[in-house]
Amino acid sequence: MSPERGRQEERVWSALAEINDPEMPINLVDLGVVYGVALEQRTVRLRLTFTAMGCPASDMIIADIRERLLAEPGIDEVAIDVVWDPPWSSSRMTADGREALRAWGLSV
Amino acid sequence: MESSNSAAFEGLIKRGELIESVSEMTPDYLRELKHTLIVSGDTELISAPAYYLAARKAPSVNAFMTGIAIIQDELAHAHIAYHILEELGESQEALIFKRDPKAFRYPYAFDVPLESWTELVVANAMYDQAGFCLLGDIHEQCSYGPWKRGLVKVMAEENFHLRNGRNWSKRISQAGGAAKEELQRAVDWMFPLTVEWFGLPDNLKQHSAQLDYRLKGLTNDQLRQQWLSTVVPFMTSIGIQVPAHQENSHYVLDYPFPSTFDAEAKRWDFNDPCSWIDVLARWRARGPRNAEMVALFQESFSKFQVQQ
Repeated sequence: MSPERGRQEERVWSALAEINDPEMPINLVDLGVVYGVALEQRTVRLRLTFTAMGCPASDMIIADIRERLLAEPGIDEVAIDVVWDPPWSSSRMTADGREALRAWGLSV
Repeated sequence: MESSNSAAFEGLIKRGELIESVSEMTPDYLRELKHTLIVSGDTELISAPAYYLAARKAPSVNAFMTGIAIIQDELAHAHIAYHILEELGESQEALIFKRDPKAFRYPYAFDVPLESWTELVVANAMYDQAGFCLLGDIHEQCSYGPWKRGLVKVMAEENFHLRNGRNWSKRISQAGGAAKEELQRAVDWMFPLTVEWFGLPDNLKQHSAQLDYRLKGLTNDQLRQQWLSTVVPFMTSIGIQVPAHQENSHYVLDYPFPSTFDAEAKRWDFNDPCSWIDVLARWRARGPRNAEMVALFQESFSKFQVQQ
């Protein structure tokens, strides 16, 4: 991967870390629902899962990701692949994410 | 002795201290707190059947899941209020399942049926915004500690409902044509009903025990202004008209307040102003679907009671 491509992927991850889950005060990266980011020219391909198959906020999360990533320079298209394998579990949360939810009153 | 105790209690409230248990309360405070909790619990509870009847018209499985999740939240919020009431000596069972429909204390708006997905999302954008203003005020100001703390998660969830309302309202408006016209019609009847939700104007309500006891912090008109200051700019921004506008730092209604409402036709007659006495009479008589909404959660209760 070229250094330029690497920097752009980092920018995508930083942008994703600005998006909060609509129901809880935790961002998508700390929640561990983004499984992968790949850049192909001006398209970002994202592998995304949800904490539950019946996630009531799935439409909102997808809309938030599109809106935020399309605001990044050099990105014209966001392709989101929703995957269920491997299934999400709370072990995928980062230490910061765990702390944010604990502070909010959820035991994780 | 009685009066010095009550003066000491009022001093506590004025100093901004939190009340934590019944043993600290005066009988008057306890009565006002219970009344405020009943209105809050009833409002959350009735929104579940009201939203459910409309959520069935969801345009996709994902949208239906969101609608059902909102209903689950509302039931949980109701549970917080009734649970506290139980700790204050009331029976949850009696409050929820044994009261006459007309004895419920939720806003009149919920007695007018929501009959489409469009009407549901407008309710999320306007009714839940009203709930957000009222509960946000209680969360910030309430002198009763257990309730104040219980509202932290409620506020986050109400925000989710509001987003659903706003996202969908925007999407329907952008679709244009008949969809946008339906949205405008929903706003036309629901907007004045929500304005009314905040109750009598301050100039007619000389005294509020809820404010004296810091059960809430803002007056009816202050809360109404707060609501208008979010709903009017939002609706205008998505190309939907509302009968109110901004003048300097506050919002002014473009119709006589209060006015006459035909609940069956879901139509306001702004050429027919009425008095607050008429409005209070309409509220007391309840709206067209009061009994049906309450029956949705009461009807099966007696079937499953173990005979003593």
